[in-house]
Amino acid sequence: MRFLRIHERPERTTALGLSWFLFAVGLVSYFYVAQLRHRENPDERVMPTASQMVQSFEDAALKPAEEEEVTAGATRPSLVARINSSMLWKDSMATGRRFLISVLLLFPAVMLGLHMAMFPYVGAFFLRFIQFFDKIVALSLLPILFIAFGIDELSKIMLIVVGVAPTVILDTFNLSKGVPHEQVVKALTLGAGDFAIAYRIVFKQIWPRVLNSIRLNLKAVMLFLFAGEMIASSDGLAYRIALLRRHMGMDTIIPYVLWVALLLFLVDLALHTLNRRLHPWFQET
Amino acid sequence: MRSAAIRVDNVYVDYSAQSDVPRRILNGIDLEIENGEFISIVGLTGCGKSTLLRLILGEERPTSGRVLVNGVERSKPDRLCGYVPQKYSLFPDKTVLGNVTFGLEVSEFGAFSLLRPTRRKKMREFRATARRYLEHTGFHEADSIKYPHQLSGGMQQRVAIAQALILKPPVLLMDEAFSALDPGTRSGMQQLIKDLWRQSGTTIVFVTHNTREAVCLGTRIIALARNGDRGSSVALDVAVPHLDFDSDEDEIRDLIDEVESATQNGIERARSRPVPIFS
Repeated sequence: MRFLRIHERPERTTALGLSWFLFAVGLVSYFYVAQLRHRENPDERVMPTASQMVQSFEDAALKPAEEEEVTAGATRPSLVARINSSMLWKDSMATGRRFLISVLLLFPAVMLGLHMAMFPYVGAFFLRFIQFFDKIVALSLLPILFIAFGIDELSKIMLIVVGVAPTVILDTFNLSKGVPHEQVVKALTLGAGDFAIAYRIVFKQIWPRVLNSIRLNLKAVMLFLFAGEMIASSDGLAYRIALLRRHMGMDTIIPYVLWVALLLFLVDLALHTLNRRLHPWFQET
Repeated sequence: MRSAAIRVDNVYVDYSAQSDVPRRILNGIDLEIENGEFISIVGLTGCGKSTLLRLILGEERPTSGRVLVNGVERSKPDRLCGYVPQKYSLFPDKTVLGNVTFGLEVSEFGAFSLLRPTRRKKMREFRATARRYLEHTGFHEADSIKYPHQLSGGMQQRVAIAQALILKPPVLLMDEAFSALDPGTRSGMQQLIKDLWRQSGTTIVFVTHNTREAVCLGTRIIALARNGDRGSSVALDVAVPHLDFDSDEDEIRDLIDEVESATQNGIERARSRPVPIFS
């Protein structure tokens, strides 16, 4: 049983094979079962075939959205123009805008966590409240948010902020507290004032870890955003998935789900790369 | 007549750990340290050496009594005392040069240095000064762009010393600064700090549990000894001849024996104010 030995390490090719194995099994199983179901019922809609999904994705990505007016007899638009007017692009942009605003709104949360850790009076004022707030299930606040902020963008963004901000605040608080006390004392002996220590010593040291914490919370951000979009929206990736569910449009839903996963993966990768480039000193554990 | 750089007046320190009876750490410490002295504080683990250092640093307040540096009562760490701890002495996000210039930078620009128009010119000056200090501590120019995690323990402490000395503090406090270094690096660092002390004339308070190090570095040894629940007090306060690590072994041995017997037995042998011997 060499596979279950702590000191046994797989070779590079074996590790690569193992890491892709479950993907391969998933794909093969899916398409095998889909093929069987289509053989039994040519109108099968629960498990679309690869060609159906490719066709639907192409339609979503390259054909004008339903809302777009198509002028009869007009020349065929360029690829960029077709993508720009497509359903997938519009949905991605709508969701992306909300996502970006929400992530940017986490920055004040980071600053609050830092100040809570650095200045005991600020910590005493906010900590208990934030700890309590963190325990509130954000989705249970959704009706209240819709009543308070309406069903427009603000309520969806507020849902994300309410859901993720307390975690980010507490994370930043803990990371700031984790900076060795010697560093603070050292900075004081070098003539640094309170704010210089907060921003130039502690914040700079925790920032790469905070970025990692935000990366880990991206899925939560997306989760709350999807909840908001599914319940009350007229565009966005989650709105489209919810709409297509009514028509059993699995051939579009599955590519959409994979598209969302890909986007999230790319955002995560971009943040990870940015983190490494901006902070060459940072030793990830 | 040298003036007192540090005065510790009848200092008591008690710690109380959650509903326990307060535990006395330091018991009536009286010290007067003159400008330019190299003080070695020795004692067994838990005898309050580092507590005494933190009092001088201003990081801790005594339960009773007072601590003054240059006649000013300590309330928090500041530029009067440079500080080199055993670890975490460098800021990991800054290069060697960034670490050494940090003190000059914050003193000049405060928290928001990027907003100052004169920053670029000043920074050039600071970097030139930092390079000189790094050179004094035996640092190569090429290493100045490295980050602390790319340096060995000895190199890190060299940078930490340059970082502290660049501000020309009247007092330099070193808390087990060389304890984590291997013997070879350690002896190099001991020689370095002694040379720097001779050149700068800064008052150095050096806390160590290594008696040989204390004897060979200091111009005066202060040995703390714990006396049960009554806390630690000064068991030996003696000026020592200017020894080196290659001084007569018998002379070193005698002093080591004296210091060790004081720290281990807690013998109350505090002597009258000694006159430090300077070469």
